[in-house]
Amino acid sequence: MQRKIGIAGNLLADQLGKATIQTEPTLNRNIIKNLLETDDEACIIALTGLDLGENIGLMYHIRTKGLVVTVRTEVPKNDPKIATITDIIPGAGFHEREAADLLGVSFEGHPNLRRLVLPEDWPQGLYPLRKDAKLEGMPSAIGAANCTTQPEMKVQESQTDSRLVNIIVGPQHPALLEPEKFSLKVDGETVVDVEPRIGYVHRGVEKAAEQRTYLQDVYLIERICGICNSCHALTFVGAVEKILKTEVPNRANYIRTIILELNRLHSHLLLLGHAGLEIGYEALFQYMWRDREPIMDLTELLTGNRVISSSMTIGGVRRDLREEDVPKVKTQLSVLRKKMDFYRSLYEKEPSLKMRTQNVGVLSKEDAIRLCVVGPVARASGVKTDVRKDEPYAAYGEIPFKSITRTEGDTYARLLIRLDEITESINIIEYALDHMPSGPYRVRVPRIVVAGEAINRVEAPRGELFHYVKSNGTAYPERVKVRTPTFANLPSFLKTAIGGSIADVPANFVSLDPCFSCTDR
Amino acid sequence: MRSLTMWARLKSPWVLHFNSGACNGCDIEVVALLTPRYDVERFGIKLEPSPRHADVLLTTGTVTKQCVQRLKRIYDQMPEPKFVVAIGACACSGGVFKDNYTVFGGVDKVVPVNAYIPGCPPKPEAIIDGVVKLLGSLESSESEAKPNASA
Repeated sequence: MQRKIGIAGNLLADQLGKATIQTEPTLNRNIIKNLLETDDEACIIALTGLDLGENIGLMYHIRTKGLVVTVRTEVPKNDPKIATITDIIPGAGFHEREAADLLGVSFEGHPNLRRLVLPEDWPQGLYPLRKDAKLEGMPSAIGAANCTTQPEMKVQESQTDSRLVNIIVGPQHPALLEPEKFSLKVDGETVVDVEPRIGYVHRGVEKAAEQRTYLQDVYLIERICGICNSCHALTFVGAVEKILKTEVPNRANYIRTIILELNRLHSHLLLLGHAGLEIGYEALFQYMWRDREPIMDLTELLTGNRVISSSMTIGGVRRDLREEDVPKVKTQLSVLRKKMDFYRSLYEKEPSLKMRTQNVGVLSKEDAIRLCVVGPVARASGVKTDVRKDEPYAAYGEIPFKSITRTEGDTYARLLIRLDEITESINIIEYALDHMPSGPYRVRVPRIVVAGEAINRVEAPRGELFHYVKSNGTAYPERVKVRTPTFANLPSFLKTAIGGSIADVPANFVSLDPCFSCTDR
Repeated sequence: MRSLTMWARLKSPWVLHFNSGACNGCDIEVVALLTPRYDVERFGIKLEPSPRHADVLLTTGTVTKQCVQRLKRIYDQMPEPKFVVAIGACACSGGVFKDNYTVFGGVDKVVPVNAYIPGCPPKPEAIIDGVVKLLGSLESSESEAKPNASA
C-alpha cells in the first residue's frame, strides 16, 4: 500500500484509524485514487471538515479491507478550493455538499454543489461550523414573521418535455414519518428522476456539541435519533474513551452489547412493520409492532426508559444488570424467537409479499461499492461490510455470531436480511447473558479531556455509524463529526428508484430504512 | 346540528401527525398508539393523511427554521375548530436543541397549542392521557357553554 501511495504522503498510525496520511490539496486526488484501488470494496466513509484557524482541515476517511485510513489535507480559509473526488467515487457527492454547505469549501468539478442541510434562504457566506460563526450572529427567524410561501427549491428544469409529471412527496405526507421532500419526475408510471431535499430536521447538533461538556454531549448526541439512540451514544463515548485511553471494564462491554442488540431488535421490528404498511400489508404492521412491544418492555426493565435508554456513559454503563432480570429477558426472547419462525415462513411463502418486493429497486454490487452504501443495504447486494466483524468493539470480539449477506440486491433481500439479523441478535443477547463477566460496570474518568482526536465506528441497525471527536484540552470538545448510515445510503435510492414504477417507490424507499433525523442531525 | 358535530368531534377525533424536526423518539411512540397494545382506535382516534380532514394536530419535535412555514401552512389548512397537541419536551419548548442555530423553538411559537405532553419521549400511556384530558376539557367547556343543549 505504501508503494502505491508514494512518498507524497507521510504515513502515521494513530487513533485516527489504522493509518493517517498528511498531504497537500493538489496531491489529494491521486492519493485517494490509489488508496481506493487497494481493495475491491474500498469506499469513502466520511469527510470531516474542521476550522483550524487560518486553514480549513479536510479529512477523508476511507475504508479499505475493513479498516479506516484517513487522508488529511488543509485549504486556506480565504480561498477554500479543492478538486472534487466524485468522479473517482460517486458516493462522495453528499459528503462534499455538506462540507460546502456548513464550512464553505468549494469542490471544483462537483456536478451538483447545492445546499444540503441548511434552509434555502440561509444567508450566503454564513457557515455555521466555522469558529467565527457565533450563535448570536445567526438569523433568528427565517421568514416566520410573514408566513407566506417561501421560494422552494426549483427542480432542474433541463427537460422541457411536457410528458413528464412532477410529483412532490413531502414534507408532510402520510407515508413518511419525518419531514423530507422528494420531487419525482414520472413519465407515465415510470420514474425518470428523483431530486431529494433534506435538511428539515437539521438541528445543528455538531455545533451544539461544541458548546456543551462531554457528559452533556452524551445526552445531546443520543437524541440525534430516537430509534438508534444507544448506537449514537456508544459511538461518541467510545471515541472519547479512545482519547482518554480508558480501559472499559469487560462487564460494561457485555452490558453495552446487550443494550445495542436490543436496540437492533426493536429497530428491525419497527422497520419490518413499517415496510408492511408501505407495501399495503397493514396486518403485518400490526402484528410486528405487537411483537415489538415486549422488546420495549425489556429496554425499560434494563435501562429505565422505553426508547431513549441513556445507558451509555463515558467509562462504562450507568446501570448494572440485575440477576433477577435475566430470566425475564430470556423468556421474552424465546417467545420472540418462535414468532420469527412464523414471519420467516410468511416471507418465504406469501406470494403477494414476494411480488411487491422481489426485483424491486435492485442495487448491483458495483453500484453499492461506488455509492459507498453501508449496513443491510450493502450486505443485501453482496458487500461484506459489518463493523462488528471488521473492527470489533464492546464484546463482539468474544461472541460468536454470523454476519448475514445476500446477493440479489432487491427490496426482498434487504428485508430478509433484517429478518435474519433479528434471530442473530437474539443469539447474541443470550450468549452475552450466559457469559456475563463479573466486576465493575463503570470507571471514573476525568472531566477535562486531554487534547487529542479519535474516530469510532459502530454497526447501528441501519449500517455503519461513524463519529469523529477532537478535544483541545478543555472540558468542551473542539469538533464532533457524525456520519450516519442513512446519509451514506440515500444516494442509492436516487439510483434504484429511476427506471422503476412509481408504485414501487414506497416499498423501495422503506427497504433502505431511512432515518432523516440521523441524516440531517 | 352543532351538538351532533361536537359529539362526533369528541367521540371520534381524527388526528394528523406532523414531525417538525424530531428525533423520531416521540414519533414512534405516537405510531405505537395505533398498534394492538395501546389501540387508540377504541377511542375513535384515526390517523388521517390530509390536514383538511383532521381535527387534532399532533406535533412532535422542535420546530426547525425550515419547518416553520410548513407547520403554519398545515395548521391553516385544517378546518375550524382545530386543536394542537405538542408531544414531547422538544415540542413544548425546544428540548435539548433549544437555541441551536436552525432551531426556532417550541411549537407554541408558531401555532397556538391546546395541550402539552412533556417527556423524552412520553410513554404512550402519557400521550393517551393527554389526549383524553384535552377531549375532557372540550366536553366540559361545551356543556358549560350550552347548558340547555340536549346531548
